[in-house]
Amino acid sequence: MDWYPLFNSLRIAAISTAAVFFLGIAAAQWIARLPRGVKGVLDVILTLPLVLPPTVVGWLLLMLLGPKRPLGAWVQEAFGVRLVMTWQSAIFATVVVAFPLMYRTARGAFESFDQNLADAGRTLGRSNAWVFWRVQMPCCKQGVLAGTVLAFARALGEYGATSMLAGYTPGRTATISTTVYQLWRTGDDPGALRWVLVNLAISAVFLLAISLLEHRRERR
Amino acid sequence: MKKLLSFTLALAALLTLTACAPKPEETELHIFAAASMTEVLDEFIEAYSAVDPHVTIIPTSDSSGTLLTQIQEGADCDLFISASPKQMDVLDEAGSLLEGTRVDLLENKVTLAVPQGNPKGIESFDQLARLLESGDVLLAVGNSDVPVGQYTQKIFAYYGLDEASLAGALTYGSNVKEVTTQVSEGTVDCGIIYATDAFSAGLTVVDSATEEMCGQVIYPAAVLAGSKHPEEARAFLDLLRGNSTRDDAVRKMFEAVGFSPIR
Repeated sequence: MDWYPLFNSLRIAAISTAAVFFLGIAAAQWIARLPRGVKGVLDVILTLPLVLPPTVVGWLLLMLLGPKRPLGAWVQEAFGVRLVMTWQSAIFATVVVAFPLMYRTARGAFESFDQNLADAGRTLGRSNAWVFWRVQMPCCKQGVLAGTVLAFARALGEYGATSMLAGYTPGRTATISTTVYQLWRTGDDPGALRWVLVNLAISAVFLLAISLLEHRRERR
Repeated sequence: MKKLLSFTLALAALLTLTACAPKPEETELHIFAAASMTEVLDEFIEAYSAVDPHVTIIPTSDSSGTLLTQIQEGADCDLFISASPKQMDVLDEAGSLLEGTRVDLLENKVTLAVPQGNPKGIESFDQLARLLESGDVLLAVGNSDVPVGQYTQKIFAYYGLDEASLAGALTYGSNVKEVTTQVSEGTVDCGIIYATDAFSAGLTVVDSATEEMCGQVIYPAAVLAGSKHPEEARAFLDLLRGNSTRDDAVRKMFEAVGFSPIR
């Protein structure tokens, strides 16, 4: 069996989760401090990919990144690099759809963080960065972890936008989700089932690991 | 031309209606047609609706393989037009077609199309075969469930190419319109689609497959045995065959996009 889709899906999900982790907490931290009106508008814009169908997200990204479209054409001219139909293209799609999950969950955690603790740290002479990483983040661990898990799961399960941006090139851009679709469409149900089981197994293992981690933390 | 067609359609409808009892209630006709027929079918439906407003035609366009699966799964279908005899044969063997209604309707051509500007300078199938072997090209094709993908496999066999070893150079679409869009957006270097799709999308065709390379591209049509409106379905099929018209209006509508009607 060709294991490329597994390797590719995990790679894409891992990279997007890392990107979304930093983008999400940065956005959450920054936006939490903004005035209510601006915060509301930004909230809507940044949460939009969560409620949009993946095909809508895919179409919008294609209109931006395609070789004949503004950003895509410029990158092609300046760097000779094509932004679509590569395995990396899927990362654009997964980052966009996973971002709202990380952002909203982190925002929720940060907003329920007791600012007195942060202020206490500052009165003791600690920098803002120290306070953020050594006081705020550990206190918001649960929320941030939950957001990361959701983001990874969403990135692993992306299909519509990935299919539109990366196409289906076996051995190059195939992911588990696009492979299952192609195998089903070409009448290979046993093959599709194998990949379905692989995906179920990974997701189950991942969620189990996370819940064990939480359980251990609670006991301490 | 449209006026002439409407007149002959009116004549045809009149003749058909006088042949059977008048049906004043609304009839819904479900037509499943290959994706490559989308544009030309819409034109026919528009013309037909103007003449017989009691019949509402509901078209479904997708890869013939997908449509076959839907029909097999029990979808409501009165008339099926497939882009290859393969899908029609499956229904024929299962006894799902209404006796005596299957006809070979149209002929199409499989072509090699390139995006505007032809950035990779693709010129022919021969050259494409060489580029595929060296892995220097990204070619969009239909998957093996799609008729145009099946014709593409025949072309690969003609050139002695092993599809599995071409990994990395091929990207698979689930119907011919997806492949066509990839070519027009320029996300691939070239694509194998029908002449009619290339025409409808305004794409440049650099080469056409000969009968030797992929066989004849025949579009059969048939009324389904399970159809609730076989007479209306037959009437529409007759219209598509240009049987009820003495002039060439129907033939011209098909030929305008690149189809060759079969007499």
